[in-house]
Amino acid sequence: MGEVQLWVSTVEVGCFFALLGLAFLLVWQGTGDFNFAIGPLAMIAALCASWLVVERDAALWPSLAAGVALVLVLSAVIELGVVRPISSRTTHHLPVVVAIAAVLFALMQGAGVVFGRSSLPGQQILTFDPVTVGDSVVLPSTILLVVTTLVAFVLVIGWVRLTPSGRLLRAVGNNPDAANVIGLPVSRVRVTAFLVAGMLAALAGLLYAPKSGVGFDRGLTWTIAGFLVVVVGGTGTIWAPLVAGLLLGMLEIFLPYYFSASTPDYVLLVLALGFFAFRPEGLFMKRVRA
Amino acid sequence: MATPVESRADGGRASVALRRRVTPDLRSLALAVIGSATLLAWASQSAFNQDLLLLTGAYALIALGMYVPFVMVGKLSLAYGAYAAMGGYSVGLVASRSSWPLIVAWVLGALVAATAATILGLATRRLSNWYLASVTILFAVAFESWLQENDGITGGAGGIAGIRDFELLGWTLTRDQSVYAAVALVLVVGLAIDRMRLSAWGVTARTVREEPLVVETSGVRVPTLVLLALAFGAAVASLGGALFTSSVGSITPDTFTVHLVFLALFMPLIGGVGTPWGATLGAALVVQLTLNSSSISSSGTLILSVGVILMLLLSPNGLLTMADRLRRVIGDLLVRRPTR
Repeated sequence: MGEVQLWVSTVEVGCFFALLGLAFLLVWQGTGDFNFAIGPLAMIAALCASWLVVERDAALWPSLAAGVALVLVLSAVIELGVVRPISSRTTHHLPVVVAIAAVLFALMQGAGVVFGRSSLPGQQILTFDPVTVGDSVVLPSTILLVVTTLVAFVLVIGWVRLTPSGRLLRAVGNNPDAANVIGLPVSRVRVTAFLVAGMLAALAGLLYAPKSGVGFDRGLTWTIAGFLVVVVGGTGTIWAPLVAGLLLGMLEIFLPYYFSASTPDYVLLVLALGFFAFRPEGLFMKRVRA
Repeated sequence: MATPVESRADGGRASVALRRRVTPDLRSLALAVIGSATLLAWASQSAFNQDLLLLTGAYALIALGMYVPFVMVGKLSLAYGAYAAMGGYSVGLVASRSSWPLIVAWVLGALVAATAATILGLATRRLSNWYLASVTILFAVAFESWLQENDGITGGAGGIAGIRDFELLGWTLTRDQSVYAAVALVLVVGLAIDRMRLSAWGVTARTVREEPLVVETSGVRVPTLVLLALAFGAAVASLGGALFTSSVGSITPDTFTVHLVFLALFMPLIGGVGTPWGATLGAALVVQLTLNSSSISSSGTLILSVGVILMLLLSPNGLLTMADRLRRVIGDLLVRRPTR
């Protein structure tokens, strides 16, 4: 494998990580919770679409739409049916954390029961010829993933910075009690955060599955990947997950190639310890004018 | 203004409530002993049941290890699979590379796990909770990879097998005795943590969870208290790993994985946050649902996770808390006299 091909893979994996990280970050900013179900939601979108196409001979686009719709419904149910009722009944944060962990497992195992426990190939959405760059090949699925990621980041940044609902997201996330007192629509903002995050997770799963395949057991791995992106990037700005995702993608591709399969795990731990010691706010922090 | 009679009645009720808070939870201990006796009777039916009970003991120790930092202090560490693996590999390495008694391995494993937890806690001591969760999950992932890759030390993917039987002062435990000893160990650790919860240190630790600044301003070094809780929890979890490895005679990197810690999150809360015995009940339920339900073996984790969600919706503080509330309601109804 040539250097260029390694960089292509880096960008591909990095964009996938970045989308997952962005989904994590939006829920964090809007609710103050980490939605550990992001990985299973990405997996379910891809697995549902592949299952409909492969096992039920359904057409591609309706299958993709079904995957996204299922994830949106699940995202709303997680917030309205699990997180909100539990947080309203206890002052402790622990039951909410445990409930989200339970949702993670329920989604993974539920997907295994409904869609089967065998891995399925991801669906190729674009079918033009691969693009050749030097001695390397860029597949249509890679191009689609990269373009979608960039568009998603631009849209989300625009939404959060320029629209009233985006600014509400940050206001509610910063201080939900104060937001409640002054009459901001906290409930609507929380649901919106979960829905947008679910949409991003669904896109990530659908667009990355052609490279990796998808099985019910991917959910936890993808959750950990998205969580790590937020750890490295920090929660300061919306575009931090893009840089952190690409950085993690680079570690994930280059280190096993030149060293060993486990090297990224060690480097990540050392990086995190370094960040926490010297720059705990992550790569990017929110700057406030005095 | 309250009459003297009313004041006395209120004072009496308050003193009963106070006594309830500061005396050991003997009723829960009695229930734990009865539950253990029932499990022992069940385990005597087959070797498979004995294996499950030993695994329940290991999971219970991991859950009890999580109870102190997670439930009492409110600090979420996600490295308990790694801490249990440290206890297990400590037993494996001492058994395969030395003639030392295995009890030394138990102590070494606990020390190594406590040291690792302290270092990870130090790295995040002035930061919010999720930094600890982050660094500990990274550590758990890296540690699992290290166990897989280092054939020379850990045996790689195949792990360490053929570990000799547990021996103490020249006395080798039989299989039956190992099961009894495991249950006794869980009871002793559970009782110790229950006493710790009710001690002055435990009350301070629980206050840290709710009001860390108040505790800090009253002169308690909160970071040190948190580090102690994390180290203690890691040491207890390592005992779980040591117990399982000593009983089964082997360990591999897949025995205690990152996956386990997400399951372990359920355990302290399934039973209830009000008592550490809830964690042992949670461990028993997790083992039964994920490993001992042949008819639902493939979906045991699904049933468990859906059950946890339902339980948290009904009673966010756990089964035992819900049972305790029901008992009090029924008790109040039974003793209430009709008023004129």
